[in-house]
Amino acid sequence: MRERLLSWLWPRSLRGQMLLAIALALFLAQGIGALLLYRAEHERIEGALVHNAAFRLGVAIQGEPKLPKGRGPERHERLRGSRVTMAPASPVRADDRRETSQEMELRRILIDQEVPVAEVLVVHRPVTGDALARELLDRRDRRYRGPRPSDVMIAAVRLESSPNWLVARVFVPPTERLMLRTLFGQTLFIYAVLVGAMWLMLRRITRPLAALTTRLERFAETRDSAGQLEPQGPDDIARLITAHNAMEAGIVALLDEKDVMLGAIGHDLKTPLAALRVRIETVEDDTERQRMATTIEDITRTLDDILSLARVGRPTDERESTELSALVAAVVEEYEDMGEPVELGDSARIVLPLRSTWIRRALRNLIGNALRYGAVARVSLTREAGAAVIRIADDGPGIAEDQISHMLEPFTRGDPSRNSETGGAGLGLTLARAIAEQHGGTLTLANRRGPGGAVEGLDVTLRLPA
Amino acid sequence: MTRTIDSVATICRTAAMTDTSPVDRPVRLMLVDDEAALREPLADYLTRQGFAVQQAASAAEAREILRAETPDLALLDIMMPGEDGLSLCRHLVETRQLPTIFLTARGEATDRIVGLEIGADDYVVKPFEPRELVARIRSVLRRATRAASEPQAAEDRAELLVFEGWALDPLKRRLTDPEGAVVAISSAEFRLLMAFLEHPRRVLDRDRLLDMVQGREAHLFDRAVDNQVSRLRRKIEPDSKNPQLIQTVWGGGYMLAAEVRRRPAGA
Repeated sequence: MRERLLSWLWPRSLRGQMLLAIALALFLAQGIGALLLYRAEHERIEGALVHNAAFRLGVAIQGEPKLPKGRGPERHERLRGSRVTMAPASPVRADDRRETSQEMELRRILIDQEVPVAEVLVVHRPVTGDALARELLDRRDRRYRGPRPSDVMIAAVRLESSPNWLVARVFVPPTERLMLRTLFGQTLFIYAVLVGAMWLMLRRITRPLAALTTRLERFAETRDSAGQLEPQGPDDIARLITAHNAMEAGIVALLDEKDVMLGAIGHDLKTPLAALRVRIETVEDDTERQRMATTIEDITRTLDDILSLARVGRPTDERESTELSALVAAVVEEYEDMGEPVELGDSARIVLPLRSTWIRRALRNLIGNALRYGAVARVSLTREAGAAVIRIADDGPGIAEDQISHMLEPFTRGDPSRNSETGGAGLGLTLARAIAEQHGGTLTLANRRGPGGAVEGLDVTLRLPA
Repeated sequence: MTRTIDSVATICRTAAMTDTSPVDRPVRLMLVDDEAALREPLADYLTRQGFAVQQAASAAEAREILRAETPDLALLDIMMPGEDGLSLCRHLVETRQLPTIFLTARGEATDRIVGLEIGADDYVVKPFEPRELVARIRSVLRRATRAASEPQAAEDRAELLVFEGWALDPLKRRLTDPEGAVVAISSAEFRLLMAFLEHPRRVLDRDRLLDMVQGREAHLFDRAVDNQVSRLRRKIEPDSKNPQLIQTVWGGGYMLAAEVRRRPAGA
């Protein structure tokens, strides 16, 4: 659960990760800065409070440290108008926390003033918890209305010569809370500005990268140099884009060269084959001539398969919205017309964007295989979850389980003898699979087993995403 | 395995075909191919089949021949050094309206369309069966004669034939359904559909259909007009058991029960 949350929070993009790292680092740096600033300010205020208390206490001590008698445990005697009272016992209560650093500071100041200090106490207390402070504050409020301090600092000192405590009360100004708020606001503002600026800068860096990625994905699919990116962004990335464009151009040139070469091979081999095909017409023996013609057809088919396989990844034709059941029927009918045992079963009407010349070729290869090895081809087209599924079933011996994955590789035939009766160079399945993949689909082979577990035939499934 | 595709339509007409009957003299062919290894045996073969063959090793030689006389049909290789077959075909179509058949090593659909768009009548992929080439030559000549004698039958190939939302592009032999999806049809089905579209709301009996759609695959086709009709129905009828578009007429025949409109192909 926690891991999932963490992985959800962890950004996956370069920009997100860099922004997170920068945001965290900035947060840390600014937090420490703000803390130090707060500490310094806090100390300044505390120092001012201590000085205030020391001043009052000093005035009281140098004035008249005489204690009026018989007036309760802590006589709230105002000494010469200062907020200093005199008490026979320590004003510290059990729930007070002593501010030792302020005590030391106060002691130092008083000793500097040559006050014979025996003991020093400093505590902070909320105004509401101190009756005298409340009274003082109420009195002040009558003349001056301003933000009411919430805390009061109580500083007490006992002189060496006396058992009594002189107690001064200094209000902690509410500015400390105000200061905290300002500091927080400023920090947050600077933080937001910096993170925002970083976001913009990162976008400048990562946008061309994202564009390059999109371009690469498109190129991987189309292998077409149209729509190249202009070099943009920081120098490194602009250079990356330039280098990528050069590489793309190189790949396109290679592929073009390959296509030209294949075209030339096709032309150069097919012309003599055509000449041969014409010349055998002079052969008197009909059987012999027919055999020659079949051989020439086999060579031509293999040549076509090789040329197609080399071109399948870079089709020149666009996909076109095509009714698949008519296409399947058209190929099945070709075989029917040749008197082959082809059956067309279920055939749902499915319209898909297809390259129909390629799909035809795949279907011809698959049906041709079924007829060659499986005596019969039963073809069906059904719609399944998100896919159009063409099944070609035969009644042949199937394929040994360990050979199935091997069968889709080039130049592999189920029949190990490779005798010419069965024909073909073993490119048919490879090509059919490549065509399926060209359309984003898959080709799978599976043995069909009867109730007894014996193989009854092979099921070939061509699945095209719908 | 040679797969060949021809087109019904032709704009290549020869004046010679209309007035002088080809029975009087052998059909004159011009064979243009840079490969002597193919050209020579093919010329011999065609001569044995009763044609008068003139050979040209290049487009330039072909033009030389054309200066002296006009053959009845040209067989053109597409890939030739110098001027290629496509360019020569364009010249032949524009100046002579000469029926042409391409011989090509390439079998890609794009070539076929380019070839047919510039006015070639048919196309064979090397290596072809010589007998099939002869059948094609005869078929193209027959169509050219028919087209010349009944000019209204020669439709403008740049037009789409539209019926009940369906559209047939005669040039690309491309049928699209009312939603615009391509529906694959065979050559025989294409010719059958063309016959219906050229004669909408007219009863066509089996013999008439056979005559009109007879193509190269005649040996396949004449087996069963009915079979072809039922295949075509499966592809274009919403319910092939209860056909609405191609209706069976009692007494032996079929009829297209739809209006056919012509629309420019680009639209």
